[in-house]
Amino acid sequence: MAYPTATLDVIGLWTGWLLMLMIYSYPLYKENVTYRFAEHIFIGIFLAINLVVNFTNVIRICVTPLLGGDFMMIVPLVMGIMIYTMLIPEYRWVSRYPIAVLVGAGFGLGMRGVIKPSILDAIVSTITAPSTGAMMDWVNFLYIAVGLISSVMYFLLTYEHTGALQAPTRIGRLFIMIGLGAYFGNTVLFRFTMLTGRAQFFLQVLKIIPM
Amino acid sequence: MSGQNIFDKLQNIDRRVFYWVLFITLMVPFIMPIGLPVKVVKNTRDLYEGVTGDNINPGDIAIMNFGYGVSAWSECAPGFTVCAKALLREGARIVFMGAHYDVELSYNKLRSEAAEDFATKQYGVDYVFLGYFAGGESAIAQLATDSWTVYPEDHYRTPVSEIPLMQDFHGWQDVAVVLSSDTGDVGSYFLRQWQGAHGTKLAEIGIAMNGSTDYPYYLAGNYFGLSIGSRGGAELEVLIGEPGEATTAMDSINASHILIVLAVILANVGYLVQRRQA
Repeated sequence: MAYPTATLDVIGLWTGWLLMLMIYSYPLYKENVTYRFAEHIFIGIFLAINLVVNFTNVIRICVTPLLGGDFMMIVPLVMGIMIYTMLIPEYRWVSRYPIAVLVGAGFGLGMRGVIKPSILDAIVSTITAPSTGAMMDWVNFLYIAVGLISSVMYFLLTYEHTGALQAPTRIGRLFIMIGLGAYFGNTVLFRFTMLTGRAQFFLQVLKIIPM
Repeated sequence: MSGQNIFDKLQNIDRRVFYWVLFITLMVPFIMPIGLPVKVVKNTRDLYEGVTGDNINPGDIAIMNFGYGVSAWSECAPGFTVCAKALLREGARIVFMGAHYDVELSYNKLRSEAAEDFATKQYGVDYVFLGYFAGGESAIAQLATDSWTVYPEDHYRTPVSEIPLMQDFHGWQDVAVVLSSDTGDVGSYFLRQWQGAHGTKLAEIGIAMNGSTDYPYYLAGNYFGLSIGSRGGAELEVLIGEPGEATTAMDSINASHILIVLAVILANVGYLVQRRQA
């Protein structure tokens, strides 16, 4: 991408840069009026875009076909309106029906495709021994096998974790902690990568590095 | 406070100091690049090979789903751009779509980054931008069976019946490969509704945070390839032989990681020393 030359683009770029600094003034300095100003602008714009996009979608996907003779579209439209009855306490019960349909449909749709990739394939992949003789593949295989079995055993809550169950459940807890730690570490580092993008943007707008 | 030793001071350091150090540490490598080497790992190589060579034919249709917004450009955009370049160079036709309101900005960025590749291609014939879709997993499931009902028109309000590429795209059976780049759940919608249900060839260009949850699907063969975060993007740039945004950012990311490791070590040493003193 090249540095923009059109006036509106340049204004947009500098506005973004300033708003970014306003937001970062909170962690780098303290809560202040510029931070709150930028925060309110962000929330306001986000809600406005949300409203416009969703309203446009309802018109495009539902209302236009309905007016064109597709009378089935009246069903999602009525169900959508029914959800708003939760704002009126005495008619709140009406909103439960569309929500029940949504939850049921979502669950059914999700279950349809979840069995193979998330359960069957995962089990097969875990219990299949490495086809190569590479040592690291076997180390990984055994590590995953021990981790899986011991972690599952940790959730055997109907038995007290004593005697024969004590050692494997403790190992399981260790694996869970390592897993959660790795996930947390990944999360923090992902945020840092996003911050890297902002640091790059900061320098690019100032033309210290090329865009 | 005069009795405080260095470890006491480190335990009570104002977090704003750390934020300043971090922000400066992130910026310095952009001004003075270190140029650390990038090693390509197997999951990234599998992704690249899956969209190049014998694995993709001219005229094949690929879906590229923008499951990220502007905030995740640094993580997702470089790898996604390389995949688009690779597919266009193989003569594949691409259907771009997205689950974020700001999908148009991400699409424009990709087009700008791969301007040379798009210059020889024709909109509507070689690629099409369908834009934002509403409806989450239901929409993705419907896209697999009847794509025209999810997208009756493209992003620019042209009816799909008038777009040549869309004449060949009605559902999952017409698609050779799906690439999804996500910060959230859309990749898993394709996993369940396309790969799981129909066996479609699927790959993920995900954020580092989701690496540990995406990787088992790669190991199980549900994803034929996987790019993880900016690092994956940099690896893809190495594979296509065009260092770009991710390669440039790697030094900065590495610096931030080193800083965190040092901070964790210092904090733990300080904690242990304090505990021993107590």
